[in-house]
Amino acid sequence: MASVPLSAYLIISAILFTIGATGVLIRRNPLIIFMSIELMLNAVNLSFVALSHFLDSADGQMFVFIVLTVAAAEVVVGLALIVSIFRSRRNIDVDEMNLLRG
Amino acid sequence: MANLSLWILLFPLLGFIILGLLGRFIQRSAVLAVAWGACGLAFLLAVINFFSMLGTPVSQRVSDQVVFNWLTSGTGNGPSLTISFGQYLDPLSITMLLVVTGVGLLIHIYSAGYMEEDPSFWRFFAYLNFFIFAMVLLVSADSFLFLLVGWALVGLASFLLIGFWYQRRSAVAAAQKAFVINVIGDFGLMLASFLIFVNFHSLNFSDVLKTPVSVDTGTITAICLLLFVACAAKSAQLPLYMWLPDAMEGPTPVSALIHAATMVTAGVYLVARTHILFDFAPLALNVVAGIGGATALFAASIALFQLDIKRVLAYSTISQLGYMFMAEGVQGYSAGIFHLVTHAFFKALLFLGAGAVIHALEGEQDMRKMGGLWSRMRITAWTFLIATLAISGIPPLAGFWSKDDILSTLLAQATKTGNPGLYILWGIGLLTAGLTAFYMFRLFFGIFSGHYRGQPVAVEQKEEDEEEVAGHHHAGSVYYYYIEEVPPVMSIPLIMLAVLSVIGGFLGSLSLVGLVKWAPLPNFLNSVSLLGAPVLEASTTIVWISTATSILSALLGFTLAWLLYRKGFYYKESRNPLYRFVLNKYYVDEALSFGLIKPILGLGRVVGNAFLEGSVLDSGSRGIAGLFRGISTGIRKVQTGYTRNYALSILLGVVLIVVYYAVRG
Repeated sequence: MASVPLSAYLIISAILFTIGATGVLIRRNPLIIFMSIELMLNAVNLSFVALSHFLDSADGQMFVFIVLTVAAAEVVVGLALIVSIFRSRRNIDVDEMNLLRG
Repeated sequence: MANLSLWILLFPLLGFIILGLLGRFIQRSAVLAVAWGACGLAFLLAVINFFSMLGTPVSQRVSDQVVFNWLTSGTGNGPSLTISFGQYLDPLSITMLLVVTGVGLLIHIYSAGYMEEDPSFWRFFAYLNFFIFAMVLLVSADSFLFLLVGWALVGLASFLLIGFWYQRRSAVAAAQKAFVINVIGDFGLMLASFLIFVNFHSLNFSDVLKTPVSVDTGTITAICLLLFVACAAKSAQLPLYMWLPDAMEGPTPVSALIHAATMVTAGVYLVARTHILFDFAPLALNVVAGIGGATALFAASIALFQLDIKRVLAYSTISQLGYMFMAEGVQGYSAGIFHLVTHAFFKALLFLGAGAVIHALEGEQDMRKMGGLWSRMRITAWTFLIATLAISGIPPLAGFWSKDDILSTLLAQATKTGNPGLYILWGIGLLTAGLTAFYMFRLFFGIFSGHYRGQPVAVEQKEEDEEEVAGHHHAGSVYYYYIEEVPPVMSIPLIMLAVLSVIGGFLGSLSLVGLVKWAPLPNFLNSVSLLGAPVLEASTTIVWISTATSILSALLGFTLAWLLYRKGFYYKESRNPLYRFVLNKYYVDEALSFGLIKPILGLGRVVGNAFLEGSVLDSGSRGIAGLFRGISTGIRKVQTGYTRNYALSILLGVVLIVVYYAVRG
């Protein structure tokens, strides 16, 4: 079986991370922003797993589980916030949420 | 004994704290119980200490008990500093304690009657207890530091009590004047303490006040002169005397206690306390004697024509304090202290008598509206007469012995040294004695003899009732037949002080009548060579010459007053410029106001309004505020509130860091 080189994994990971970061910066719907954040996290996860394999070390895989757990918790809190904001403002456009400006 | 003497200090303090915190909530009788109790217990303890001191051998009568260490710094090696508070008990401080608490107690009792109708009854007694505390601290402190604390606290007590009726503008002004001038004195004492610490490396009396003094004469002279600045301010000597006459704005018992009997004698006490330093500074001694003599004559001359009875007594106090300083200036320290004690008796009596008259006349202080009170107020009149005789130096009353002690010391010193200046001082003393007799009898006749010059007859009962409603300190005069003797709570202290004024003189030297050894007070003070061995034993001839002339002088003054005012005081407007000059107190207040106060106020106003407030301070602070506002206006635009902007800046930051490491390799 022809092995896939490490650089391919890392390039895919970088592309996914860039897509996620761009999504966070340009989308106005918080749900999409959350999904973009997930994308960024999973890009990191991908590079973790790949490096873990190529370096023969289990450390990277352990980090992946921690990241997954944190991501789940973050989504719970984030969705709760979004629901709460929607209930009070009937609108969840992040560009409308600028009360903390200087 | 030490613990017992500490309570002399603590009882009045406790009384002050209790009255200050709870006074407004408790009955008047409870206020009196606390105030009288605090002062009375302090007096009792002073008496016990006095007798236990009499019981100890002469060489062990000085005790310096450290109560607590206030501040300790430095280890055993090298320089270290320990500041402790202690009580210094010796015959001098015991004498002062007895006078302060004893006269203080009588005045506490008297005040119950005098202040009866005052709404701030409790506040008055709280202040009185505070004053007793401060004065006890002053006379029993064992170092210059705590002497200074007491010195400043009595000034504060004086300020509070002069301004007691703070609704009166004049009282507030007088209180401020007294405070400012007293602070000048405090400053002198502070500088003297600095100099002492630099040169003696200690502020404790037991380290500083011992012979031989190892510091050079110039420094000692500077220290003594600075100390005398403090004394002059506290004891109202030239040129810092102006506050005392104005201090008469306070309630009369205060004038008696603070501004006649006790606080103003603190200066006399301080010179006697530090006499070891003064003995090494002849120049400072000459200054003390000279200022004392000048003040004695100057104040007596002003007292000649005053119309307000309390002001006459105020100037008389200044004059008598001058006497005491004259005595101390020729090293007659025990004579000075002796006069201090007798003066406390008869001057307190005079003020309390004047207070009784003022009380009976419902606030009237002008001699022109008095007269004929002899038959209405017998006790007051008799006690006032005794005090007048005593201060005039008529034998065998108290003032005679002490004044005579001073004059014979002066004359003896003059004949011994042949210094013409001392002969002049002696002459001034004699002249002042004559003036004193004159103005005191003018006062006495003015109040008590002749016809009543206020409202003589009640027109209708109705008006009398209205006057009752109008309250205590109204301006109108009282009908003659409604004048009544003061209640016993006021007259009993008068009688006790009168007794003391009669017998007080026998405490002192009776060398005049050949009883050279009979001198309890000077012997007590001179034990353990506290005030030094008497500089000289005045020969009997000198004593007789001095006594005869002083009696003659007093009698001359009395005769003149008798001829002029026996039938009652009369006031005639006079255009004589010299008379106007003296009547207006040599225009010193006006000159000060014109020469010092107005320019300073004006300068302050100019600098304040035009210079500082307008441009420098205002624009300065506004400029700084504006600068920060401008900067923040620019910077706060960054804080947009858009989450995406923050995310972008985080991303850019990360990219920058990554690029940095990538480039660096």
